[in-house]
Amino acid sequence: MSERLPQIVEYRREARNWLESNLDKKEHHAPRPTITGNGDISETKLAAQRALQRKLFDAGYAGISWPAEFGGQGLPKTYERAFAAEARGFVLPNFGVAGRTTFGVCAMTMLAHASPGFLKRHIPRILAGERLFAQFFSDPEAGSDLAGVRTQAVRDGDRWILNGSKIWSSGAYYADYGMCLARTDWDAPKHRGLTWFAVPIAADGVTVRRIRQINGDAEFCQEFFDDVVLGDEDVIGEVDEGWAVARTMLLFERGGGATETVARGTGDARVLAPDLVDLAATADRLGDPAVQQAIVRRHIDDIARRGLDRRIASVVSADPVRGSAFASYGKLASGTFDPIRANTALEIAEGAATTWPVDSDTGRPPRVALDFLDSRFMAIAGGTNEMQRNSIGERVLGLPREPSFDTERPFREVIRSARNWSGKVG
Amino acid sequence: MSTDLILQPTDEQRMMVDTTIRILESESPLEAVRAAAEGSEPSSAKLRHKLGDVGCFGVLVDELRGGGSASGNGVVDAALVAAERGARLQPGPYVGTSVTAHTLSRIGSQAWHGVLGTLVSGHAAATWAVAGLNGHALKVCSEGDHLVLDGVAEAVQDADECDHLLVGVASATGVVHVMLGLPDPRVTLTRLGGIDITRRFFDVRVDRVAVRFGHTLAQGEAGRTLLDRQIAVAAVLGAAEAVGAMDSDFRLAVEYAKTRIAFGRPIGSFQAVKHLLADTGLKLEMAKALVADAAFAVGRESEDSAVLASMAKAFVGEKSIELAHNCFQVFGGIGYTWEHDHHLYMRRLASEAQLFGSPAWHRRRVWDQASNTPTHP
Repeated sequence: MSERLPQIVEYRREARNWLESNLDKKEHHAPRPTITGNGDISETKLAAQRALQRKLFDAGYAGISWPAEFGGQGLPKTYERAFAAEARGFVLPNFGVAGRTTFGVCAMTMLAHASPGFLKRHIPRILAGERLFAQFFSDPEAGSDLAGVRTQAVRDGDRWILNGSKIWSSGAYYADYGMCLARTDWDAPKHRGLTWFAVPIAADGVTVRRIRQINGDAEFCQEFFDDVVLGDEDVIGEVDEGWAVARTMLLFERGGGATETVARGTGDARVLAPDLVDLAATADRLGDPAVQQAIVRRHIDDIARRGLDRRIASVVSADPVRGSAFASYGKLASGTFDPIRANTALEIAEGAATTWPVDSDTGRPPRVALDFLDSRFMAIAGGTNEMQRNSIGERVLGLPREPSFDTERPFREVIRSARNWSGKVG
Repeated sequence: MSTDLILQPTDEQRMMVDTTIRILESESPLEAVRAAAEGSEPSSAKLRHKLGDVGCFGVLVDELRGGGSASGNGVVDAALVAAERGARLQPGPYVGTSVTAHTLSRIGSQAWHGVLGTLVSGHAAATWAVAGLNGHALKVCSEGDHLVLDGVAEAVQDADECDHLLVGVASATGVVHVMLGLPDPRVTLTRLGGIDITRRFFDVRVDRVAVRFGHTLAQGEAGRTLLDRQIAVAAVLGAAEAVGAMDSDFRLAVEYAKTRIAFGRPIGSFQAVKHLLADTGLKLEMAKALVADAAFAVGRESEDSAVLASMAKAFVGEKSIELAHNCFQVFGGIGYTWEHDHHLYMRRLASEAQLFGSPAWHRRRVWDQASNTPTHP
């Protein structure tokens, strides 16, 4: 087998040639990414991305390391990395947040848990750009307590009937499917009795509502399910064993989540946080020692976080199990320092952060105001600061767990007794 | 157990750290440090010899001058040693001796070869007094073909047990660096009280000491460049010592949270305590990462090394105090007692934060040396 693999040098050269004759070169100097905020994905933009993805797929550059039987190329990861390195300067398909969810989280989880039949039906279409998946994970009543979902699928002959609601599903308004966690056994304890389904968003009984966020964007959605009919072929992994699938998904989600954080200073440490220096210049406060000290503090935080990221990567590569717990430090750093940084920006900008001329170029509020409104995103999304602190406390520092009230008893009973909370155990 | 300042040490570094730890724990365990502190004794010359034997004082000295690093980056090696010393609250002028040895190695003059040899072998110790960092009242002026030093260098560490005093003082044209042998009748030491009882500080009065122009280590612009280098090295090593002490205090607090029972549970199972420790652990990990990055940069002499060193010192100076408070809160009443070790760490961290430049002083330095801020008029 291995002697039939193309030489990596040869592969790279061919990829470079293909890229140059088929894709456009990227414009340089993208602005610093915001904490969230990917902008709307319009129908036109989506169609263009699908066409671009199809081009990659037809040329054999989609799913380079994914199994060949499901439409991938079955090559080692080194080839995928080689292609990515060559493609860095080119415009690649950008499906926004649903793209990252589909390719980085849902498909990876499916490949680990779904049946061959399921994978044959879905993965090639994902790779061809025909099928985007959103995550239907959190319930309105189960956020940090992920396993506490109450959206339910009830067996009805050879069908499943889905009812309930999901929330915080990024990009669901333009996705084709939702990967949905539902309770299938209420008499089992919380973490058992859960099952994953692939839910076609166009199916009868599925309603998607976009959620307007604090910063004015509407990237997240809420879905409502009214007697949505699903089949056994829509089940991902084993019935009632959904928590194992969820754990895999969380690993991919955390790995992928790192790329979404605010880009921190790279390279020369002598370049102080440029956005904060600009704000101070605009406010004519560069000579103010209090402003100088504040900017330097935030710059130091930025560079210390950069170092922490490398430290985490080093732990992960040496010991993936310890690394997955240790990575909570990176998430907690975002949740802790993003708000502090945004507050400093607000203090430096003074009035310019709170009032501005309405006829500004973009028609959007200034960056400093949006960053402030957005700054608790990492403190809440994907596991709140409190969840990270629990994880660090228990899994990194080895501190004892809290008493648990919901891990052994039937979930139905857990919900009932929580409504009559007395504070007494047992 | 090591402080894990860097996560992927070379085999040579691992060996050096293990050996250092073994010597410190057999020659100078915390009970001995505490007893010496209570008796106000100087640090042990025997310990210094042993550390010299295994090369702890030579890592910042060129191989051709009798030193040699373990990894090729002497500043990282020295920071690893500093962290383990800090973790065990070791007394003695490690940073001063290291900066002095490094200075003599860079000057490269044959005249100092003998002194450098005794510093590297641990048979002599040196301390460093630099005007503008530890106090301002030391002045230099030129008289004929001499420079005359006069005044007081404040809060100089362990001056009474040192054989050499390295002085840096601003002059009209730059910075003058001079080595003085101790004891010297023109140099008077006055012992100071101090919050850190594991170390001893002195005001050093220099009474009109004349040095021939040719006998300074460096002066003028070259002296200024040398001072920048010394500050960067001292900042990294001081921050590394502090990180070691932070690590030890934090370990004690985590251990205490696992074993102290209240309301029928180990207190570490309460989120209020667990979360405080997780937040503290975050700052500690960031401190380690930043100090390691700074050590690599200063060792490589990259262009942003001075800024990174000051950033590390400023960050650690502040977060170490926060860490000491948080650990104290976890210890509760026992942390308030003399018999518990926490106060030794808290004292050390408070002292270390001010030594070789306070956090605010280093932040000013970062601002002044940044490439995208206007320079001062």
